[in-house]
Amino acid sequence: MSTGNPVPAPQEAVTTRPGTDDRHPEAGGSVGRRDVAPETARRGKRGQGTLLWWILALVIGVWCLFPLFSIFATSFKAPSDLANGALLPTTWSTENYREIFVGDSRELFLTALRNSIGITVIATLIAVVLATLAAYAIARLDFPGKKLVLTVSLMVSMFPVISLVTPLFNMWRVLGLYDTWLGLIIPYLSLTLPISIWTLAAFFKQIPWELDQAAQVDGATPLQAFRKVIVPLAAPGVFTTAIIAFFIAWNDFVFGISLTSTETARTVPAALAFFTGASQFESPTGAISAAAIIVTIPIVILVLLFQRQIVAGLTNGAVKG
Amino acid sequence: MSTAVESTPRPRGRAKSARATSEARLGWLLAGPAFFVMLFVVLYPILQALYDSLFTYRLTAPDDKQFVGLANYGVILSDPVFWKDLGVTVLITVVTVLVELILGFLLALAMHHAIKQTRGLIRTMILVPYGIITVVSAFAWYYMFSIDSGFINSWFSWVPGITADLNWFAEGSTALSVIMLSEIWKTTPFISLLLLAGLAQVPGDLTEAAAVDGASWWQRMRLVILPNMKASIMVAVLFRAMDAFRIFDAVYIMTNGAYGTEVLSLLAYRTSIGRLEIGMGSAISVILFLCVALMAFIAVKVFKVDLADRGGSK
Amino acid sequence: MRQTRSRAARGATLASVAAAGALLMAGCAPAEETPTLTWYTNPDDGGQAEIAKICTDAADGRYTIETSMLPNDAASQREQLTRRLAAGDTSMDIMSLDPPFIPELAEPGFLAPVPQDVQEHAKANTLEGALAGAMWKDTMVSVPFWANTQLLWYRKSVAEEAGLDMSQPVTWDQLIEAARQTDTELGVQGNRAESMTVWVNALVEGGGESIIADPAAPANEIQTNLDSEAGRKTAEIISTIGREGLGSAGLPTQAENESMLLFQGDTGSFMVNWPFVWPATLKGAESGALPADLPEDIGWALYPQTMEGQESAPPLGGINLGVGAESEHPELAYDAVSCITSAENQALYFRDNGNPAADPKAYEDPEVLDQYPMAPLVRDSLDQAAPRPQTPYYNEVSTAIQLSFTPPSAVDPATTPAATDQFIEEVLRGERLL
Repeated sequence: MSTGNPVPAPQEAVTTRPGTDDRHPEAGGSVGRRDVAPETARRGKRGQGTLLWWILALVIGVWCLFPLFSIFATSFKAPSDLANGALLPTTWSTENYREIFVGDSRELFLTALRNSIGITVIATLIAVVLATLAAYAIARLDFPGKKLVLTVSLMVSMFPVISLVTPLFNMWRVLGLYDTWLGLIIPYLSLTLPISIWTLAAFFKQIPWELDQAAQVDGATPLQAFRKVIVPLAAPGVFTTAIIAFFIAWNDFVFGISLTSTETARTVPAALAFFTGASQFESPTGAISAAAIIVTIPIVILVLLFQRQIVAGLTNGAVKG
Repeated sequence: MSTAVESTPRPRGRAKSARATSEARLGWLLAGPAFFVMLFVVLYPILQALYDSLFTYRLTAPDDKQFVGLANYGVILSDPVFWKDLGVTVLITVVTVLVELILGFLLALAMHHAIKQTRGLIRTMILVPYGIITVVSAFAWYYMFSIDSGFINSWFSWVPGITADLNWFAEGSTALSVIMLSEIWKTTPFISLLLLAGLAQVPGDLTEAAAVDGASWWQRMRLVILPNMKASIMVAVLFRAMDAFRIFDAVYIMTNGAYGTEVLSLLAYRTSIGRLEIGMGSAISVILFLCVALMAFIAVKVFKVDLADRGGSK
Repeated sequence: MRQTRSRAARGATLASVAAAGALLMAGCAPAEETPTLTWYTNPDDGGQAEIAKICTDAADGRYTIETSMLPNDAASQREQLTRRLAAGDTSMDIMSLDPPFIPELAEPGFLAPVPQDVQEHAKANTLEGALAGAMWKDTMVSVPFWANTQLLWYRKSVAEEAGLDMSQPVTWDQLIEAARQTDTELGVQGNRAESMTVWVNALVEGGGESIIADPAAPANEIQTNLDSEAGRKTAEIISTIGREGLGSAGLPTQAENESMLLFQGDTGSFMVNWPFVWPATLKGAESGALPADLPEDIGWALYPQTMEGQESAPPLGGINLGVGAESEHPELAYDAVSCITSAENQALYFRDNGNPAADPKAYEDPEVLDQYPMAPLVRDSLDQAAPRPQTPYYNEVSTAIQLSFTPPSAVDPATTPAATDQFIEEVLRGERLL
């Protein structure tokens, strides 16, 4: 987990991808442009400055990645090695990974992983579709109650999740949604919809919609104009929103433990509390760590590939001047 | 989406009323589904909770369900457990938000000014804590500090007060420190990104002018940058405070509320899901909701945080 | 959702995304018409899954048993089961239940009545202590599967150094004194969890009292007896161990596993714990993680006495099997329960997973005796064991005790017992939160 490796290469490529920059210049873009001035002014001290920046990056990297590395190291400790009082395992053992992929915890973990992926992806898709429609209306149309939609979505996003659990548990019991995929997908919408709506509304405000009319004037049919002009402009925002919504749904724990009780719908964060050692009294530290690492891999991959879009999405939806 | 585009022309011309009506209809057609889903998922449950909270209602004894009016609220508000949990929740909220605000601001400055080669790198790295599952983060910090499987005690034995025998999770103060540390680690990136956006909106010519006038770094910060960022700082604080106030995962994993670390969410969870006391649990949920609503109200009315700006409405 | 899997699942799946999981499982079912029984198991070393297979084979196509795992601590297991039963789930065919939580399920009628023949067989073939845990208001509501009890495990070298004659019953006071003298640590469970109630209950019962005198009383009339001689002695023992650090610095977060690790370490001396520690220690010694000669240094005796000269009351644990009242196949489920709880399967479970049988016949199995030389002692301990209070409000009672008696160092023999009594009664009357 060295922090000085050449991670930046891929996203520098993303940065320079034509078009991306102009559309949502909020954080990434304007930051890029803005710091040109002080940078040139201090050109003389550049060598020294570069070194300091790399040291700063290293410090931030250690802070950000160390806990993850710690649980990564724990996941390679054999049960008898857990109490060794050191960060690293005495010998690197893959026993815990065998436990969750081929051992006794296999079914528990793999079904939970399947549920997590399925439920999260469906909840994300629904949220993004609904939010796209709503955000389009908010960005482009004037209609009474627009403010209300925004206010409600803000309220929903601030809502203490635990307050929903008791009534939802009761309702789901009656409706037969308890311990089903749908029973989690619906409450996940309360987590993913609001942020999707603001993020997309902010993106859509920046799209030069007139291009669409220009294309129609040039002889394109409305559908062609939409497909050729609007979709490519809107797609990055929609995609970014989907990633953020995915993170949020993937993270859920409260609904996962409260509204499920079997492999039918139990998600990974909830399943982590179910791991066990050789008997019910022995600690499952190793298996939990291994499972934790596995479920973190998709996050790390998404971050590595799309850090620029995620940052733009988060800052875009956040504050508008 | 395609229907949306077909009716896009936006001029507010002579046929104003007809156009406005059709635009309003289209607006609700598009925004309606999301709006009603949100209402259904949130408004209906909270009304149900409000209703349930007026009964003693235990799921394993459904026949004993009895209307008791506001008695559940009386029990909760007169119980020291509630006030203690509220205190812990407020403490966690205040401390984590303060620390995160400072760290997040420094991080935002670092990202704002970073040279090109490290900017992407820093952003990538801070997104890891942001994206990681809270439960995973809680386990990571728990195992690090645990007296049975941790290494912090042996690494930091030179720090006064830390010995091999320090059991972090056996006492409220130390356990809360670890809980808050994990929260700070996990959510500072989010706050720093909000602040980064605010930083980007500070007019560059203002800062430069101040620099030309010989203002020191601190003066520029205090007189130009911070005042211009006030709105985004307020929004960041409000959002994080509400989020911190509903803390659940980390406490549940690390101590399950033992030794003075219980927070309101956990109390609500234990009462309604653990004890299946739906009536009492609903009452706690309603109180929790009211606390958050009060925070939002104060923020909007007293501190004039303009939340509607978030969605970019004009 | 899951019970629909045979034919109905086919049609329903297309309609509902939620049924997708059920379809996958339906695909695995061997025959079209075979009913599938779901057995909710507590986590173990795979023994219940194995027995499920054995009994599926024995059923010869009449039913298939599938296992579904519950969380790994007692309180969460109860949470999951109670919630599902309250939700009227029809897939609750067979459940592995922790005895103290059974009254809570029996009282509202969540458990299907036990057929007469199953009752008779169980009554004739179950150890006294375990049978008591299967009853609620004089009716048998579940079938004992295995029974657990804690023994006093000791390091022979430490006992010798302390001059304790382990062939005679020892008291907690003697153990405390021995730990002080030899500068070693006692393995007890001091964390805020069910294991704390297990300890408190054993100490109180060992002093000749029961925490609740009339467990069947309604919530607002339940009275607890912690403020008694036995209760105060209990508080004194726990507080002394906590305050003097005799249970190690980890005591307030120490559950069964952590106390075993402590016992296996350099400062280990005496420990009260379930028999799982024996296979776990042997495995550690074999793999080289623990000193190879450690098992030879380990002895076992009956649970220590609270009051000198008064027979101890070791903790009673284990698992009973219950059948959900809403199950679609209660007869088949009880048929499966009879198979699961047969003497052979109990012996198999004892051998492979280290969980002692509820059926006395299993203790005569030569293989069991070979692997668990302490099996006869376990049997004696089970005869002497006392159950935890059997009340539908066990969760409240247990949680209140855990809150009051942790951390052990904060227990005050003068005030804690009386305060706990008051606390429990107020909680049960709905006047306080937990």
